[in-house]
Amino acid sequence: MSAIGAKPAAGAEVNTTASIIGLILTLIIIGALYVITKDISMTMALIGVIIGGVLVGFCVHFMPVGGAPAAMGQAPGIATGVAMLAAGAGLAGLFGGAWAAELGMMVAIVAGAVGGGLMMAITCLMVSVIYVFGMGIPAASGKSKIDPLTGDTQVEFKSQGTEGHGLPFISYVGGVIGGLLGGAGGTLVYIELLYLYEKELPALLQAPMPEDVKIVAVSLAGIFAVGIFLVSSVLAAYNITGTTEGPADPKFKRFPRDIVASLLASAICGIFAILIVAL
Amino acid sequence: MENIVFGIGITAMAGALASVAGAAENVESDIGSQGDPNSQVQLAPQMGYIHRIFNKAIAGEPPAYGAWCAIGAGLAMGFIALQVNPILALILGCAITAFVQGVYATTAYLGRIASLAKFGQPVYIDILKSMTTVTMAHAFVAIFTTVSLCYLMNAALGHPFPLPLLGIVWGIALGAAGSATGNPFYGKERQYQNQKFGAGVPVAASGNIVRYAEAGQRNSLDNGWFSAKLGGPASGVCFGLIVFLELWRTVLFEPVGHGWGAIIVGVLLILVFTIIDRYIEVWARKTYGPYAKPAEVKT
Amino acid sequence: MTVSASVGAGAIPHNTLIGVGLVGSLVGIYLTYLNVITGLQVFSFFGGIGAVLALVWGSNTIKTLCSYGIGTGVPSAGMLSFGSGVIAMLFATRYGVAAPIVGLVLAAIVGAILGYCANQIVNMKIPVMIQSITEMAAIGALTIMGYTAMAAGSFSMIPLMSASHLDAGYWATFIGASFIVVVFILGAMAIQHPFNATLGPSWQQDRMLYLAVECGFLSMIVIAVISFAFLSMNAALVSLVVSLAGWLYFYMEYIRLSKRDAAMWLDAKPIVEPEGH
Repeated sequence: MSAIGAKPAAGAEVNTTASIIGLILTLIIIGALYVITKDISMTMALIGVIIGGVLVGFCVHFMPVGGAPAAMGQAPGIATGVAMLAAGAGLAGLFGGAWAAELGMMVAIVAGAVGGGLMMAITCLMVSVIYVFGMGIPAASGKSKIDPLTGDTQVEFKSQGTEGHGLPFISYVGGVIGGLLGGAGGTLVYIELLYLYEKELPALLQAPMPEDVKIVAVSLAGIFAVGIFLVSSVLAAYNITGTTEGPADPKFKRFPRDIVASLLASAICGIFAILIVAL
Repeated sequence: MENIVFGIGITAMAGALASVAGAAENVESDIGSQGDPNSQVQLAPQMGYIHRIFNKAIAGEPPAYGAWCAIGAGLAMGFIALQVNPILALILGCAITAFVQGVYATTAYLGRIASLAKFGQPVYIDILKSMTTVTMAHAFVAIFTTVSLCYLMNAALGHPFPLPLLGIVWGIALGAAGSATGNPFYGKERQYQNQKFGAGVPVAASGNIVRYAEAGQRNSLDNGWFSAKLGGPASGVCFGLIVFLELWRTVLFEPVGHGWGAIIVGVLLILVFTIIDRYIEVWARKTYGPYAKPAEVKT
Repeated sequence: MTVSASVGAGAIPHNTLIGVGLVGSLVGIYLTYLNVITGLQVFSFFGGIGAVLALVWGSNTIKTLCSYGIGTGVPSAGMLSFGSGVIAMLFATRYGVAAPIVGLVLAAIVGAILGYCANQIVNMKIPVMIQSITEMAAIGALTIMGYTAMAAGSFSMIPLMSASHLDAGYWATFIGASFIVVVFILGAMAIQHPFNATLGPSWQQDRMLYLAVECGFLSMIVIAVISFAFLSMNAALVSLVVSLAGWLYFYMEYIRLSKRDAAMWLDAKPIVEPEGH
């Protein structure tokens, strides 16, 4: 994304002790919320927010993003920043999910997922169109010899001096799956908070007409959803050190440690987002 | 029925605005060498290639456009709260945002180039004078169209999000779509016009960007002209399709099956795009052929 | 503004900037409380000044963190810090007068945990990671709170969300109209831009810090325009004049420093090929 020539510092190994501490801290935070509020629905909302945050972190691992080299056809993937591409897709999904919020949680989450997936499908298609019809470059993966979905060989389509280019089919599918997961995750965070705020805010603000406060609930849930989305997606971007080819990339195998990190990060952000109306 | 016709009209208009926004966004960012191609403009002086290209490193395009559109929408919202006519409020808000964008652009150019002093890259002050205004104009078009379509979504289609929240959502989506589609075309085809067509830029050639134009020395206005031929329109199609299809499927099919209609149409659209993508990929493999014989590679 | 004026040839140690940013922003935000005491609204702009000082501290923190190479762009660090900062800040608004302190402490806790996530669980192994993310989350919360106080004249939850002081309804309140998003993104851009725009081999700390102040004042201009919707005409005008004057001064100073550091300062001249080419 930026011109800084960053050298990935993180390796692939899992820090077991830290992961266990992370899981325990997550459980402590969930327990703490229950002890403070004595309210099972709020605790369930926090768990929903955490699941949403984890989905967001997981979705980033599917995004085929090549960063700066992709803009020169030197590396496969989409030429942009991974956290922000995930945010673009996930927030477009959140837009659809928020629109369907009144039709129930299930419809809203699936609508959010489809919104994110559609955004990524169109974006990835246009990336392929530009590579093939604008630059005359066929797609080639740099890290896998054969596309695991189509069985296409990749190596001979790699032009000289590059690590591959374009979007092989597996990366395209990865992008769509990433959009689906990101849209669902962002919407889940939003919906959980929205329902909670719609219930609690009128009393807190002593509003005469509960219906009037809805806009405040929407706004508050929206900004919290954006905040948790950015936190979770940036952590995931750190996990894959900024670039990935999607599900076929060896970096994809790093996802377990990001799931733990997302669990803890969404838990700590989520507890404050919920306590704002609880205390 | 009337409601649906009204919704379709708004949807079409939002799609048209989004197409303009995508095209303007991409041309703007290419004139400023924003986003990923920026790395090459930054690298060139280190490799000994002093250039006269605008180096507007503000952030990646998604955060930058998320910022511009949210600021524009927020200012418009402020003016609307002051009982200003909405259209005037949108224009005023976006004009002030274009000023903010221009200031960010100049400080980014000065900062990056001054920090390249070690490699002898001079600050060309005429670049600032002639190109900042052009990027500001393009940015204004992109911001105004995006904020306008957000306003339509909120006021005409009844989306629950307030205007600034819609601004950040669609601004980030605009930047993501525009940078994904437009960056390779500018980064490979324009910066590395001297490399072979139909192949990626070899890593060894990094930094050797084209610095001379048809007449004289290349500046970023030449790049804007080039991007406007394909990268910009393609980005416009990309963002326009995203906005149009997202609204179209919701407006038309959400009443069907308690919301599931829109979802099914969305899944079908994803499948259609997937098939088109696969077709294009296979077409390219057949038409362009491999760079090396399979036998050579196996060893 | 004494900070930037004292920037000389020597580098300012990071701890000094932490002190200045922490104390300065808290004092600035608390000065907006004069609004409540005096019943006037003209003290709102102090919130913006506090946010500017927090951003100066933040730009140096980002520099410290990003010199390690975090694998993705500089802007992502700003997004992480403000994403967590906005949550802590909104929660802290519940505590009335204590809000800035509560926000600072909670944001630091959230930041420390996020830093632990990034450094230990994701295994980035960057020595300054936990401290930097802790600082940045705190900066995020302070900046958002400062700008919020400047725009709405208050940092307490009820005035920010409730329509009691407005005839227009909840849609026009600070939170109801999502102005918090504008504050969020203005801060997130302003914290990452100073380092992102000046990185390179000839990086100079004073130039970056001046740019941080300039970005802060530029954000203040936008906030001042928004504050017309919430504050009296006079108060908003005071904010606007202060921000414009501050922005102009630091913009000119930044250009002066860029001229000082640039290899050459040319107007409409051709490419100067370096020796040996």
